[in-house]
Amino acid sequence: MFTKKRILQFCAAALIFLLADFWMYSTLSSNFRSYEDQRNFNEIELFAQTVPDERTEQSFATWMPTVKDIIPGSRALYLTFDEVSFDFKPESGSETNLSLFNAFRNTPNFQKAMESVYYLEPMRLASTYKADYSLDPDTNSFDEISSQVYFVPVVDETGYQVSGAVMILVPTSTATGFNNLLRTLFIVAAVFFLGIMLVLMFTRDPMTGFMVLALFGIVLVFIAYPLLEAVRLSFMKNGTFSLQTWKESLSPTYLIALWGSLRLGVLTATISTLVGYMFAFLIERTSFRQKKLMTTLATMPVISPPFSLSLSIILLFGNNGLISKQLLNLNTSIYGLGGLTIVQVIGMFPIAFMTISGVLRQIDSTVEDASLDLSATRWQTFKSITLPLSAPGILSAWLLVFTNSLADFANPLLLSGDYRVLSTEAYMLVTGRSNLGAGSALSFILLMPTLTAFLIQRNWVSKKSFVTVTGKPSTNLTELTNKPVRTVLEVGAWVFIGFIASLYLTIVAGCFVVNWGIDYSFTLANWGEALARGWTSIRDTVTLAAIATPIAGLLAMLSAMLIVRKKFPGKRLLEMLIMTPYAIPGTLIGISYVLAFNKQPLLLVGTGAIIVINYIIRELPVGLENGITALHQIDPAIEESAADLGADVPTVFRTIVLPLIRPAFLSSMSYTFVRSMTAVSAIIFLISARWNHLTVLIFNFSENLRFGLASVLSTILIVIVLSVWGLMQVVVRDDKLTQKTISAR
Amino acid sequence: MEKKSVSVTLEHVTKKFKDVKGKADVIAVNDSHFVIEPGELVTLLGPSGCGKTTTLRMIAGFELPTEGKIYIGNEEVTMLPPNKRDTATMFQSYGLFPHMTVFDNVAYGLRLRKVAQEEITKRVNETLDLVGLASYGDRAPSKLSGGQQQRVALARSLIVTPSVLLLDEPLSNLDALLREQMRVEIRKIQKELGITAVYVTHDRVEAMSLSDRVVVMKDGYVRQIGSPSEIYEDPNSRFVAGFVGKAAFFPVKVMKHDKKTWVCQLGEKEVLVERAATDVEVGSEAVLMARPESLRVVESGTGKIEGKVRMNVYLGHSLEAFINTSFGEVLVQIDDPHAKKVFKEGEDVSIDFTADRVRLLNRNDA
Repeated sequence: MFTKKRILQFCAAALIFLLADFWMYSTLSSNFRSYEDQRNFNEIELFAQTVPDERTEQSFATWMPTVKDIIPGSRALYLTFDEVSFDFKPESGSETNLSLFNAFRNTPNFQKAMESVYYLEPMRLASTYKADYSLDPDTNSFDEISSQVYFVPVVDETGYQVSGAVMILVPTSTATGFNNLLRTLFIVAAVFFLGIMLVLMFTRDPMTGFMVLALFGIVLVFIAYPLLEAVRLSFMKNGTFSLQTWKESLSPTYLIALWGSLRLGVLTATISTLVGYMFAFLIERTSFRQKKLMTTLATMPVISPPFSLSLSIILLFGNNGLISKQLLNLNTSIYGLGGLTIVQVIGMFPIAFMTISGVLRQIDSTVEDASLDLSATRWQTFKSITLPLSAPGILSAWLLVFTNSLADFANPLLLSGDYRVLSTEAYMLVTGRSNLGAGSALSFILLMPTLTAFLIQRNWVSKKSFVTVTGKPSTNLTELTNKPVRTVLEVGAWVFIGFIASLYLTIVAGCFVVNWGIDYSFTLANWGEALARGWTSIRDTVTLAAIATPIAGLLAMLSAMLIVRKKFPGKRLLEMLIMTPYAIPGTLIGISYVLAFNKQPLLLVGTGAIIVINYIIRELPVGLENGITALHQIDPAIEESAADLGADVPTVFRTIVLPLIRPAFLSSMSYTFVRSMTAVSAIIFLISARWNHLTVLIFNFSENLRFGLASVLSTILIVIVLSVWGLMQVVVRDDKLTQKTISAR
Repeated sequence: MEKKSVSVTLEHVTKKFKDVKGKADVIAVNDSHFVIEPGELVTLLGPSGCGKTTTLRMIAGFELPTEGKIYIGNEEVTMLPPNKRDTATMFQSYGLFPHMTVFDNVAYGLRLRKVAQEEITKRVNETLDLVGLASYGDRAPSKLSGGQQQRVALARSLIVTPSVLLLDEPLSNLDALLREQMRVEIRKIQKELGITAVYVTHDRVEAMSLSDRVVVMKDGYVRQIGSPSEIYEDPNSRFVAGFVGKAAFFPVKVMKHDKKTWVCQLGEKEVLVERAATDVEVGSEAVLMARPESLRVVESGTGKIEGKVRMNVYLGHSLEAFINTSFGEVLVQIDDPHAKKVFKEGEDVSIDFTADRVRLLNRNDA
């Protein structure tokens, strides 16, 4: 594979290509420069001919700035020729030019230029000069920019005698913009060529090589690059390195917000874990009847659109809420920590519930039997056996909810009131004060606790599990609760579920009310207006999500196949990079996308593409995990058989892998669709006038107290999401057969 | 299915793996060098971890040799991916496509080769007929018995008329009776088609009964290559002797060697041996290898090794006598026990053998 001959061949080919690449670049670049120079020269000569007829200082002062109309960003200074001293004297025009002129007037270059002008020959100085444009501010720039210096003569009335000269500065930056683009293009070409050649020469299976290369390309451009850009920008101020942004972000103002986030996180995580444990215990460890129904109901809030819970809490308990105002006439505010905790617990306890039930389900009932057999009471058994065995699950659940609470963006946006949390604070900085650097710094501060919790959960807690799969599922379950305890649990669970259901019903009710809080009479007007104003958003949101869904699904399954089945260098790195968006708050992703893709060569901000890409990147981790789990259950001999019979890698993927992991494929697609439809935190930074998002529109209506419209759109969103989710459940259930046969072998 | 048989050549093939920590190299196959003749069925035999499956996977293209070259016919295929090699593999777990019917499984290879639909139907039915599954085309693989699944896998491999058929312990998931049947069937089909085949197994009976030649491997090394009778009768080492069949080993000192006979010192006695491995030298320590059926139990004092019967195990066609001697326990197989004198358990006996039924092996060679 890596024989000496091949390496030499590769180096030779690479050298030839790089030389050719560089030669083309420099030729094009210098051609462009000389063309640009020539053009500027022509323009400047034309400018010199527009000398005003009336040669007063006043008319020169108005004439000078018009140079900007001819060459954007340039500056002009008029010098009169003093016949007495036989010299040019600055008269009127740009301060920038003046300071440069004064600094360099006695240098040989300038002397020569003025001499040439005296003989009516315009001249461009050979070297460029750094000029401080801030002396003469305009819209363009404030920094020191290297500039070309031109001197052109101005002839007197006779037409033969020099009467003055114009010194013109042209910043080279306009040229560098194009030059940078050119350079990027050629670097990209070189990287492409080298990558393709590397794969063709050193791999046995170029198809896999190209797929890995493509995946690396995607991941580097759309995950690593934006994040690095965000880091870089948080250390920049006016184009230079500075810790200013970080100092500001770590000031007490924002530390309060951090403290707020942490407090909310701890509170939400603790309550959610308790509630989640109750549900999990009821379903996995008692002979409770409606297990299936309860599981479905209790997992519903996970796919519920953002804002919907906050919205209904506001409708019920807000300043003009149905319960707080109309029924109880209270004056307490739901905005703040209390309200936030309620909605976050409702929205996030399913995470705790699912995590803990996963662990409880695996605990073999025989260990509890053994304990009871040794004459422990049921309470003692629960306390000394069941609870400790489920401890890793509890910790895991707590950390996951904590992470989610910190990253939560939608609920605080509506409900935080005066209570401050980091995720919305970052948003305010970006949208309110367009301070992207500080926004990204804040998001990084938010990332610290989130990432810590995530890593603890992943690398430590999930490995601490005591539970071992015995392979002999015990058929009978030992009831650890007596009847009264179970009744209490059951009633508690139903009340909780009832509360959630009533919240959703409130939203539905909100659609049909003229003006919530003031006029509760029935109306259908909200529907008309909401559909009229929201139709394009609904269409756009569904379209973009529908585009992202299959791409994300395929990409996830393909990456899973490459990661599980193929050997290639950098595999761990690739997996880690793909998983990254899972651990970082959406706010940070949104901000870093704005930072990275608002300039050449990847100018994507404002397009639908950036939204689609963002959907894909954010949902890829879950799809990948699904795919990896599914693939691990499939005998590699199945794929090897196909390859052996003559199928190349794409064919194996298409005809064997994809059909076999269809359940994982379908469920990650539905997950992507649902999550894309309900996305807020990253998307809110990326929407534009052309591409709006339904959730953002709901937010706007809620913020403007148009609760009727917000309710209608929320209801529509819930219906779309629920129907896609339900459809998927049906399709995947039909697929259980294949799933079984695969794992049986 | 007319196709010219080809040879398979392994030229100094070595395969190294990284160990679990990814640091040290583990050598799975060490300098394997042999040729499989066209139309031959060669078995790779050895204990687990000896590198036999790795060798097979390198021929198929699933693994790359670290060093060395592999040829199929005259074409070097060392770097070719599996899908570009004219081999077909039958896996231990069969690797049937669970989402396709039996027919589609068998047709898969033909579809990839863009064969016309009628042709596919015809050939698939022919092949299913060949393996005795003519009426099973519509079934899902999961609805078949182990033996039937195995035949589907065979049909799927054979239909693409590969130059080389590779079989990776294909019978290990079957019960004993079925295994015997399939063994015969595979051998029959292989001979009929004249296809070159490589068969991996750790079952010596399977290896002996199927193969034209057997390659015995251990710890990545090829220990001996030969026909089944060669490796059974004339093993070149103690390991091969012990692995391919039951054997007793006695330490001896080699005294003398003339044209045909080796004179050895066995305990107090001098014994004559007519067969020896090539690396046995006069004056060195060696081992005398004897198969149970080559030994005879005789009256105490009349044989070469003294002992006492510990246990007799009656097997019908033969009887196995376990005899305690000063060299440890020795197994003697007495064929047709009713026609012979059987010594009772606890009796003092002697073990005898003739010079042409035992073999000298180098002592150092485990």
